[in-house]
Amino acid sequence: MQNSILLLFLVLAGLSALVFSFVYFSSKKASVEGQGLSNPLRKRFWFLLILFVVLGIFASVTIPKSPYFLFADETPARVIHVSAMQFAFLMSDKAIDPKTPAGESSIELPANQLIEFRVTSLDVNHGFAIYDQSNNLIAQTQAMPGYVNRLRWKFKEPGNYNILCLEYCGMAHQVMRATLTVK
Amino acid sequence: MESIKLRKITSLWIITVLALFIANIVLGIVMRLNQGEIIHEQPATFYAHMTTHGLTQIGIWFVAGMAGINYLMERYLKTSYLANVLAMIFTVIGILMLWISTYIGNFHAGWTFLYPLPLKVMWAKWGTPLFLSSILVMGIGWLIWAVSLMTQILKKYPLSKALAWQHFRKNPAIQTPPFILISMITLIGIIACLLGAVLLLAMYAAEYFSNGNFVNDALLMKNLTYFFGHTIANEMLYLGLAIIYELFPEVGGRPKWKTTWYVALAWNCTLVFILTAFFHHLYMDFVQPVGFQIIGQIASYMASLPAASVTIFSVLVAVYRTPIKWSLTNLLFFIGVAGWVIGGLGAVIDVTISNNFILHNTLWVPAHFHTYNALGNVLFSLAFFHWFSIQFSSKGNFEKLTKLKLTLLLIGGIGFLLAFYIGGAESIPRRYSNYPAEFPMAAPLAIAAAVFATIYLVAILIFFFQISKRCLNILFSPSSY
Amino acid sequence: MFKHIIFTFIILSFFFCQLAVAQIASTGFEEENNIYDRVYDAKLSFNSGENRTLAELCSGKPLLLALIFTRCSGICNPFLLQLKENLQFKNNFGEFSILVLSFDPRDTQEDMMQLARWLNLENNKQWLFATTRDIEKLNLSVGFHPTWDSTRSQFDHDALLVGINKEGYITKKLIGLRNQNDLGLLISSVNDVFSPSYRLPGKNLLFSCFNYNPETGKNKPGLGLLFLTLPPVITLLIVFGISYGVRHKQI
Repeated sequence: MQNSILLLFLVLAGLSALVFSFVYFSSKKASVEGQGLSNPLRKRFWFLLILFVVLGIFASVTIPKSPYFLFADETPARVIHVSAMQFAFLMSDKAIDPKTPAGESSIELPANQLIEFRVTSLDVNHGFAIYDQSNNLIAQTQAMPGYVNRLRWKFKEPGNYNILCLEYCGMAHQVMRATLTVK
Repeated sequence: MESIKLRKITSLWIITVLALFIANIVLGIVMRLNQGEIIHEQPATFYAHMTTHGLTQIGIWFVAGMAGINYLMERYLKTSYLANVLAMIFTVIGILMLWISTYIGNFHAGWTFLYPLPLKVMWAKWGTPLFLSSILVMGIGWLIWAVSLMTQILKKYPLSKALAWQHFRKNPAIQTPPFILISMITLIGIIACLLGAVLLLAMYAAEYFSNGNFVNDALLMKNLTYFFGHTIANEMLYLGLAIIYELFPEVGGRPKWKTTWYVALAWNCTLVFILTAFFHHLYMDFVQPVGFQIIGQIASYMASLPAASVTIFSVLVAVYRTPIKWSLTNLLFFIGVAGWVIGGLGAVIDVTISNNFILHNTLWVPAHFHTYNALGNVLFSLAFFHWFSIQFSSKGNFEKLTKLKLTLLLIGGIGFLLAFYIGGAESIPRRYSNYPAEFPMAAPLAIAAAVFATIYLVAILIFFFQISKRCLNILFSPSSY
Repeated sequence: MFKHIIFTFIILSFFFCQLAVAQIASTGFEEENNIYDRVYDAKLSFNSGENRTLAELCSGKPLLLALIFTRCSGICNPFLLQLKENLQFKNNFGEFSILVLSFDPRDTQEDMMQLARWLNLENNKQWLFATTRDIEKLNLSVGFHPTWDSTRSQFDHDALLVGINKEGYITKKLIGLRNQNDLGLLISSVNDVFSPSYRLPGKNLLFSCFNYNPETGKNKPGLGLLFLTLPPVITLLIVFGISYGVRHKQI
């Protein structure tokens, strides 16, 4: 999906650059009197309307796809508790005691079943980000102290998935990571 | 008409901003070289660079915009020289305090200083209070400046006229210049976000001095942080736009732009949208009420409408098939607007929640805001700096090396930014001092970015030497017309 | 006008420095265990002579399970009283029953009826009182670990309320005497209302932006929201203030 986003952006950016270049060169070629644009107010209105409709379509299509209510109607097969801390992710089937935090050395999850991650932080803000085997970011949520964020996900492909910290949390932010295995 | 004193303080602002910009670009290049594994710094040092680079950039381009509108405002009314000087003093002191906290104290909580990271001290103990005080010092200076400018506007234009409400009726008796309207709207937004910063710092102080009795709510602090940060970055851009509305037609030899009902409507709407769009920084905090998340996406989308249909359309209409006297000044404005549009495209994509799910905190984020700045707002300010510097020089070819400078800016800027966009599409995380092995493209992209940033830097150096020479002449000229 | 700014800043700093709130000690992490586990399908005995299993019971309506014992001289009675109090006027929460179950093997159906009478709930159809022989397996499945104190002849235990949905899954647990908001979240959870996030128990609620109001099912503005609106509100006051002030001077 990231590739289609990049493509869309490059196409639109290229088009914008072309428009600006075209307008610039039209000015260089303009005669002394200058024709300008006929009916600018009407054209402005149409431009605004088209933009409004396009954005409206984008909003109505994309807002329901927001990650807040993914798989909300299903019951998870597993609940994984995640406590992020400087600089590790503790993950466990059992709740993690903040006074003596400990996680499991490895987490194995079933494929094609609903997993719920309950993500919190024991100290500062962290980011719980799941990367697939092609190292594409597929899902994320923030780990905020004092709150638990529930991220529901189904892993389609078996294999190893990396978890990277995606919210700057201090000097070892870049090496803060974990792994999940999906079987 | 402006006084000699105002000319001199503006010259001083320009030289200061450009010098700090050069130092800051170097910091940025050092960061990219570290990420490219060409140099090898301690991660804490990298993050100290990151903290310094981010805040210094926002700071200097904010004051550049303020200095610009202060100077141009003298065409319409008297502004306070004292407030201008105070802001200069507070800004310089604040920046010094910032740099001391990061480079001597090793404070590296990031330029967003997201709670509670600044309080989890992994640096000199005095680093945190010094850092937070530096923000306070700059904030107070800027608040005084903004309130002062707004007061002067209100002395001449009653509130409804300053907001151009009379333009909603046919044939208004009094015309509000677009420059005054945009300055007023922007100053209101600036005051609001600086007050947000004051509140944020007060909450930090309350916890810092409470000996563990008082702990802030992390979600509220995050909301306040982004209310301040997002808003000030956008208002900084709008300051540049105010300058464009005033100078673009003039420099091109065209009639002055007038406020119309749709210009008034667009800018009044912008004030509302810009104060509510900041929610888009919290999309991945599922704890935030869903209503706020949706408001974030809608307000962010809506904020693009007045920008596109009024400002950008107006610039294009003003140029299309119109004989413009092109010079470096208006070329910079024009290219800057194009850069702003492209940065906006990247932003609208990321501000869509379902996209943000896979783009948040990847390199896509610095991609779009560096576009807004390096090829947007910076060009607006550079245009003003160039224009200002040639106002009082009678001799010389002011268009020397224009083609070279613009070419270097564009090649350097586009290359540098593409490295970020591609990095974001590759899901490479942002704010990493070094990249994990599973991202083989990350280090090469960083090296490429460093090379292109150096090309961009060369352009800025040329600007610096040319503009500073002229500004130094203004600064040290005898006090006579 | 500088005075306005300094004044406002001082007032704000003073105000916030006075707000020293002590954190409540409980961490509440034990509540996070057993979520979405299936509760053990215990065989329940009611006073009417009826025998039903837990699965049969909750398939009709979701349950709030309260584990107590009738000879308790500690938390059980205040726990049940507060629960009754909090639920008294809650009519529009969606359907659910409260199952008061004894974990003490000595308790009989007669003891439970006595308890129901004492609470004035013997005719309340929403409240069910029962015993079970499968208490050990049930305790294990909900993460409940009472310990016998022989010196006092009492069980030491948490005040535990377990939310069980219609499919028999544990959706949420509350430990200790809790307020209406938390109870509302528990009831929503047994009705399978998904909430993408929640606050950890025990943290101060002073500065939350919204507080979930279980009665309306909506979020009520909290003090945090006030703080967030403070900067734009104060800005508007400053703008109007200056606008009025300069007009006044000119007249």
